[in-house]
Amino acid sequence: MNAIASRRQSHGGIADQLRDFGPAFGMLAVLVLFAIIKPSFASPANIANVLHQSVVLVIMAFGLGIVMAMRGVDLSVAQIADCAGLIAAVLMLHREPLWVVLLVPLAFGLVVGLVNGLLAAYAGIPAIIGTLGMMFVIRSGELLMTNGAEPQILFTLPRGFTKPFFFIGQGWIGPVSALILLGLAVLAIMIVVTGYTSFARRARAVGGNFRAAYLAGVDVRGVFAGGFVLSGVLASIAGVALVSRTSIAMPRGAEPYLLDAFAAVYLGTLLSRRGEITILGTLVGALFITFLGNGLTLLGLGAPYRYALNGGFILLAMAVGALKKNQ
Amino acid sequence: MSLTGSASEAVRAAPAVECRSIRKTFPGVTALDDVSLSVARGEIHALLGQNGAGKSTLVKVLTGIYQPDSGQIFVGGREVRLRDGRDAEANGIAIVHQDQQLVAQFDVVSNALLGNETVTAGGFLDRAAMRRSVQSALDRVAATFSPDTLVRDLSVAQRAQVAIAAALLRNPTALILDEPTASLSETEAEQLFGIVRALRDQGVTIIYISHYIDEVLNLVDRVTVLRDGRLVATAAVGEVSRAEVVRMIVGREVAQLYPKESVPIGEPLLEVRGLTEGRALRGIDLTVRRGEILGIAGLVGAGRSELAMTLVGALPRTGGTVTVAGKPSRPSDPRHAKRDGFALIPEDRRHEGLITDLSVRENLTLPNISRWARFGLLNLGREKAAAEELVGRLNIQPPSLKPRTRNLSGGNQQKIVVGRWLTGDAKVFLFDEPTTGVDVGSKIEIYRQMVELARAGAAVIFISSDFEEVSAMCDRTVVMRRGRIVHEITDRSEATPETLLYWASGSGDGSTAAEPVPTQSRQSAATDFLARWGTVIGMLAVLAIIAAMAPQFLSINNVFDVLKQGSVLAFIALGLTVVLIAGGFDMSAGATSQFAANVAAGTLIGGSGAAAAVALGGGLGLAVGAVNAALILLLRIPAFVATLGMMFVIMGATLLYNGGQALTLSNQPGFFFIGQGYVGPVPFVFILLVAVTFVLNVILRRTRLGLRMYAVGQNEAAAMLRGIGRSRYAFASCALGGLVLGLAGVVLASYSYGASALASGVDFLISALAATFLGSTMSRAGELTVVGTVIAAIFLASLSNGLILMGISNQALPGVQGIVLVLSISLGLLRRRSIGQILIF
Repeated sequence: MNAIASRRQSHGGIADQLRDFGPAFGMLAVLVLFAIIKPSFASPANIANVLHQSVVLVIMAFGLGIVMAMRGVDLSVAQIADCAGLIAAVLMLHREPLWVVLLVPLAFGLVVGLVNGLLAAYAGIPAIIGTLGMMFVIRSGELLMTNGAEPQILFTLPRGFTKPFFFIGQGWIGPVSALILLGLAVLAIMIVVTGYTSFARRARAVGGNFRAAYLAGVDVRGVFAGGFVLSGVLASIAGVALVSRTSIAMPRGAEPYLLDAFAAVYLGTLLSRRGEITILGTLVGALFITFLGNGLTLLGLGAPYRYALNGGFILLAMAVGALKKNQ
Repeated sequence: MSLTGSASEAVRAAPAVECRSIRKTFPGVTALDDVSLSVARGEIHALLGQNGAGKSTLVKVLTGIYQPDSGQIFVGGREVRLRDGRDAEANGIAIVHQDQQLVAQFDVVSNALLGNETVTAGGFLDRAAMRRSVQSALDRVAATFSPDTLVRDLSVAQRAQVAIAAALLRNPTALILDEPTASLSETEAEQLFGIVRALRDQGVTIIYISHYIDEVLNLVDRVTVLRDGRLVATAAVGEVSRAEVVRMIVGREVAQLYPKESVPIGEPLLEVRGLTEGRALRGIDLTVRRGEILGIAGLVGAGRSELAMTLVGALPRTGGTVTVAGKPSRPSDPRHAKRDGFALIPEDRRHEGLITDLSVRENLTLPNISRWARFGLLNLGREKAAAEELVGRLNIQPPSLKPRTRNLSGGNQQKIVVGRWLTGDAKVFLFDEPTTGVDVGSKIEIYRQMVELARAGAAVIFISSDFEEVSAMCDRTVVMRRGRIVHEITDRSEATPETLLYWASGSGDGSTAAEPVPTQSRQSAATDFLARWGTVIGMLAVLAIIAAMAPQFLSINNVFDVLKQGSVLAFIALGLTVVLIAGGFDMSAGATSQFAANVAAGTLIGGSGAAAAVALGGGLGLAVGAVNAALILLLRIPAFVATLGMMFVIMGATLLYNGGQALTLSNQPGFFFIGQGYVGPVPFVFILLVAVTFVLNVILRRTRLGLRMYAVGQNEAAAMLRGIGRSRYAFASCALGGLVLGLAGVVLASYSYGASALASGVDFLISALAATFLGSTMSRAGELTVVGTVIAAIFLASLSNGLILMGISNQALPGVQGIVLVLSISLGLLRRRSIGQILIF
């Protein structure tokens, strides 16, 4: 956040405006290009569908963004989501009541986030290593739980039983899907959390200068760990929402979201003048990534292009940041 | 001490170093103004002066770090232009820095000759010759330790000897010693003086920089005093008295008005009894009353900042008691100290005081932010009003809450650091050098704040090396030296700058004689043994358990199977290890090998032979390494992000290349021999692994390239000081590692009869990281080594093999690897007190 923060004093000249909104225009241009090549991309039905799909990534990227704004990283977000969804599915298959199906995965995300936080903030293990290790521990747990990656299929269950659970990912409230409403609710909460809480202030201080925050009497370890807890909980919400949307839980099925979440957060920094991670930036980044994936699919271009483009976007975002810094 | 015969002869000879009319200005400041100085051959010449007098600027000019605006420098009678540190060294000026930048994990030989290694043809280190020359240099500084000792096992004083020996190995015309005794005990300092005198007697010219007037007058032949950028005088020590030197150093006009006011002084608020902290504080007794400003005067290394840090719990206290308003205070960190009523204004404003990327408002309300929050939710209106009130009260310019504090002047920054404590219940204010780098107007504001705080009944501790401001502002003053309070002045009229300097620079308290030298806190032999061999013992224990539970584990066939399985992983881990030595981090390692495996398989399917497959696979790895290095070095993208992006790009490229299909090979006996063949009972791939490991070990351990790669990775600052830039060696690390990763991919393709369709780069990454970090815990200094990595990789393979033999599902393997990774990292972190932040931007 510090490093690519630009040093210039901006006075809102046209050049500055262009520089500030350039990345947003660039993203828009890519999407317009898709719409021209493939008009169905811009159809209201497709847009509504993509927005519906994007919620899972948006929620996950928010969590990752919170951690990264403190100069941490959480490589286990996608795996937490994966496992939380799996837990929900297994509980459904055991005919557990809805509140158990929803709360146990959330508790799982909370505990994993807590362990990540303890490792990074209190044991001092670099976040890359700790969360990478966690990712693999969870993966093992999933394999053992599903007897070697058997998919957990929910749509064969009686409708009456699954209906309340599927409502999250497939229901509608008036003209808007329930999932989008969930996304909006999480967005509202995140805006409050990052803008109106003492936690957010302390988190910004930890991200800005850990030593100075420590000497100012901030509980740097607690705050740093708190970011991982938040990230774990958000990832588990995303995972449950994903299973509710798709009616099936495939072990390791949510793993590709890790790349998407990284790309969303890094792209999001381009929308901030100082190259900071913001909630709105991450939102835009996540929406763009989802639309991009959809566009590529419509064009018949699959996973390889998605990987390569997302990776390229991460590098591009960083290169642009580096250019801004050198101005 | 009188002038020795040798020195007086030397004064007549041509000067070793001469400066003529050196001028150096910085925006707004003239740091050196027409300084002419001549240092005679074979003398010890002291540079004296207060902070800001121009000593360090002069040293930087002499060592090529600054270019003078005008003036000439002569070394040995020859005019020189010094463009950088290497240039200065080449011209015969060597410096020993105060904080002895050494690579802790290296032994003395490598440290002393880093950047100046003796090599035979082909770039191999001539260790025998290096050891001999280092030993002779160590003899000159009377070192009693072996040149094979690791620097991290040496005491501070011994490190100083290494640093001086390293400088001597450059055969300098003049040797600059910058505050060499600042962190030494008195006994250690005495030993050092003996060494310096002996060097002078060997004919070495020494420029000696120190704050300690007594030690200087006993040691050197001539002194030069600088004040406010001008040279005051140069004199032989026999011709000046100590009092005259003090006067020359201090003697400036009191140009400033100090807003000191007398406020009523109340009952004792802060009481400190026998406070100790390691070597830095050796029993501090203090009482500060309400309304009192207590000055703590002292020089660099006296322990003043350590006192402040210990009071707020940022340094662990080793003994003593503290009470605030009668209540005992024993904070474990600054947060608890805040509750006890302490407010710290740290010395290093930009790095320890402010969060420079945050706004004025966010900085002002940070320490007491919960004051404006209910259930964690902020009342932004009230918080803003409080910040605004502070901006007005402290007269912060510009009067706005929005600017980032990075863009404010030093004085306004300092006002914010002070102001943020004014909203809370702080009772004891610790000002650590609050006026360094602050303009005059802001200085007065800061002094006023101190008076206001005192008037409001706070206890104020004012730490400063500017003895003028201490004498003007403080009701009472204590002088610290080497971790002790050596003098207390209760009568304000006696606390003149001269008196303070007199006491701070070390005179006549007579109690210096018997000083307990705290031994370096070495752990017991048992702990040492565990730290060194714990990993190996643990690994053997695990293998023994597996062997006991599954006897077939130790059968010859199984052992060779394990070696074969482990070899592929070991190759990838080897490549990752090489990248990590100087390249930062590599998320793309697994994906690179995977891609190379696909390319190798594709090449063979396409009909080109095994040689082409090996070349293309290796070349691909090399290219990826080069791109990673370019992203990191040219675009300055942090290694984690650059290689993360590359990982995904490579995964995409892999899927494009194989079209989502497994590339299965058949009927390639020559190629399959690499991964599948046997020489007698031994798998060929293992023989290959041993050979590659041997070659890499030679490159990393026995060549200049390897030594410098380690130096850059372990202590970039120390490497820089020896003229070793990061770029070349970070590039070498990435490229060589990339090559190995590419070749590992070829081996993988041969081992698994082609390449799988999955682009599962992360899976290999975790195994390779686990092997690399586990391997590092086996080495002497905890550094990354290829041999350790290979042993660890084979161990991980044995572990998975053993788990399967024991009937434990292989589904648990990834988790076991994850746990091994985290555990091996935490072994190395037992004593580190940081948080796991990484550079992600």
